[in-house]
Amino acid sequence: MLTVLIYGAVTSAVLAMLAVGFTLIFGVARILNLAHGAFYALGAYCAYSFTALLKLPLIVSAALSVALVAVFGMAMERVLVRPLRQSSLAVLMITLTVALTLEQVLFIAFGSQSKNVPAFVNFPINVHGVSVDGQRLLALAIAVVLIGALWLFIQRTRLGSAILAVSQDPEAAQYMGIPANRIFTIVMGLSAALAGAAGVIAGPFLSVRPTMDQTAMITAFSVVIVGGLGSIPGSILAACIIGYSQTFVAFYLNPEWTGTVSLVAILLTLVLRPSGLMGRVVNA
Amino acid sequence: MGKRNMAGAAVLLALLAGLPPLLHNHYLTGVFIVCAIDGIWAASWDFFSGLTGRENFGHALFIGGGAYAAAFLNGNFGLNPWFSIPAGIAVAVVLGLLVGFPTLRLKGPYFALATLASAAIMQQVAINLWQYTGGSEGIYGLDTLIESSLGFYYLVLGIMVATVVVLSLIAKSRWGTIMRAIKGDETACQAAGINVTFYKIASLALSAAFAGLGGVLFAHYQQAVTPDDFDVFLSISVIIMAYVGGIGTIWGAACGGILLNLMLELMRGLGEYRLWVYYVILMVVLFFMREGFVAPLWRRLRGGDA
Amino acid sequence: MSALLEVEGLTKRFSGVTAVKDVSFTLEAGEITGVLGPNGAGKTTLFNLLTGFLPSDAGAARFEGKSILGAAPHAIVNRGVARTFQLCRPFYGMTVRENVVVGCLAPRVHAGGGLEQRVAEILEEVGLAHKAAQPVEILPYGDLRRLEIARALATRPQLLLLDEPFAGLGAGEIEPLVQLIRQLHDSQGLTILIIEHKLREFMQLVSRVIAMDFGEVIAIGAPGDIVRHPRVIESYIGKGANAIA
Repeated sequence: MLTVLIYGAVTSAVLAMLAVGFTLIFGVARILNLAHGAFYALGAYCAYSFTALLKLPLIVSAALSVALVAVFGMAMERVLVRPLRQSSLAVLMITLTVALTLEQVLFIAFGSQSKNVPAFVNFPINVHGVSVDGQRLLALAIAVVLIGALWLFIQRTRLGSAILAVSQDPEAAQYMGIPANRIFTIVMGLSAALAGAAGVIAGPFLSVRPTMDQTAMITAFSVVIVGGLGSIPGSILAACIIGYSQTFVAFYLNPEWTGTVSLVAILLTLVLRPSGLMGRVVNA
Repeated sequence: MGKRNMAGAAVLLALLAGLPPLLHNHYLTGVFIVCAIDGIWAASWDFFSGLTGRENFGHALFIGGGAYAAAFLNGNFGLNPWFSIPAGIAVAVVLGLLVGFPTLRLKGPYFALATLASAAIMQQVAINLWQYTGGSEGIYGLDTLIESSLGFYYLVLGIMVATVVVLSLIAKSRWGTIMRAIKGDETACQAAGINVTFYKIASLALSAAFAGLGGVLFAHYQQAVTPDDFDVFLSISVIIMAYVGGIGTIWGAACGGILLNLMLELMRGLGEYRLWVYYVILMVVLFFMREGFVAPLWRRLRGGDA
Repeated sequence: MSALLEVEGLTKRFSGVTAVKDVSFTLEAGEITGVLGPNGAGKTTLFNLLTGFLPSDAGAARFEGKSILGAAPHAIVNRGVARTFQLCRPFYGMTVRENVVVGCLAPRVHAGGGLEQRVAEILEEVGLAHKAAQPVEILPYGDLRRLEIARALATRPQLLLLDEPFAGLGAGEIEPLVQLIRQLHDSQGLTILIIEHKLREFMQLVSRVIAMDFGEVIAIGAPGDIVRHPRVIESYIGKGANAIA
């Protein structure tokens, strides 16, 4: 039982990291970033490259990977997304092609087999009699820290207030002198960094292959929909719900059906309560 | 239809009809068959999503529905493959209604996600209920509709042309006007006395019907179905085809389908770089050609308003 | 003869705020009636309740003797009640003509083969015939207003609800619109209910005024009387105005 509780927490934490970034960029810039999963994959592959190939120290690799993904995300926003902002379909499609292209590049560069990303914490830790893989606990801790930091950042700093302003009304924010465009880029950077960090921290115990962006994407979607697009607290809550549901299904039913959990969650939410747990009303 | 448009269509059809026999290559004929089927899928997607502006990200649900219907009837029960056609269409329409009712009231991105999820769930179901569906392997050994591949091609080509014609006629009719009004402003449409829900669901069902028909043709061409027929990638490819062809034009979407599949085929020489180049080209098109590629190109070639 | 529209005790609450409170009035066929009140008085909410865009919490509303509450917006239009919106909502991506065509496609109209002619007549009547082929994107606001009205007319209404038709119009555009509304009333015997702020134009058109404030009806009467009614003045200027006035 305790095992399930702990593993569930770890899954929820990683999901939360993925979902919060996705919901953040949607909440602020109304962008459904289909490349978000690709950022996650990029983070994992960077961590792999820096540690296993370039033999850099783990901490350095981690920091570099996250930074790289953040820069990539910001570049994508600035160069590809910003000019297409008037058409939400165009933005959807271009982020999608970025994801597909990145997937191919990773495939070409690294091949289709899973890679082993070295873990930061190699040994199991004993929690009340349950032996848990240390890296998983670290992932849990880092997720909590990072999301907490993001929350504080948004609530307590000036830049955070600017971000909140832009998410409510970009035009009005601009009249107040807030450079909405620049905020969008910054938020994309934050969002990408979170996704990349998730990849770095979870890479050691989740599978690292070029198609990892797809499962990540679908699961992130489900969390974000259940929680309510645009709501960070909603995403965190939903991440726990879905994370634990997946863990229960994996432990007590059939591991094959974990993917279905997210999909069913999406459909149920959209049919019963489309705005999710904490989102805004979304009927046409 | 203007004279120049008719001339253009005639040339295109002549090319499509004439090339495969000229090339006299079984493999290439197969490529053309898939091109035409892609054209049916893209045109059917464009009819609903292009006209109403509600982007359906789960078109593969209808495609796979039609394909698996064919597989059950012909593969499992040995029925004459021609029965697959009405069956596939019926299954696709039912799926369209089932998905349409709860999801069509949702706004833009939510509708897209709901349709995407529906197709993905169906894919999982197809994989997990392997006793009935053959699991990840799918169902093999379907009969083909027409023995000669050239014959099969002409069947599919004919159906594609019929699809484009029928859907275009509807799009130009009062129904189409209502669909475009729905795209313009749904609330105002209701205020004009139009039953918006009915038209959205009916249009989606029609779109699904043709997609399912394409699915049946595909199943009998491949002589197999797999869960990939429900795949997200398929749904997205269809959208890309319509986008490249020119959203809302229907004939453009069909051309986009043909073009993209041909392009992918021609790039086989690039080996493992093929998909990567394909996506980069797509990115370029998406970025620089907001209105798509085929339809605007034709407008330029044709010159002025004929 | 029973009234065309009977409203009794209509009420709408939005989590804590009662936007429309126990509103009652009747409309006789052929009248032009006005709804007057400051911002937030509940006027547009009232329209939304009567046209099916919002569900009501209490009360009744009967058109031609039959209830219209709980019906879908398009169904109400097909009973003969049409409306325009405060902010014009044309169908973007279509021409002026096509916008009116949509209204003619409402089942109530049974346009059939006579569609083209009907559209031409309506456009003629609102003065947009010469702009029929123009895309709505390039229309000036005054013409968009006429288009709103044309589209509503296309549905062959018996009762027309106009929500602030003069809002956003420049000085030169208001008078022609007043003329148009009066002409529509005279020629077609339309019953019209207008929400408006702009008193002067309003007064020329309406024969009766329903004054609202904070969701309630505070007075109903002839325009001249309403304008001098103490509570109405208070709702616009504030308490104590009467003491000074």
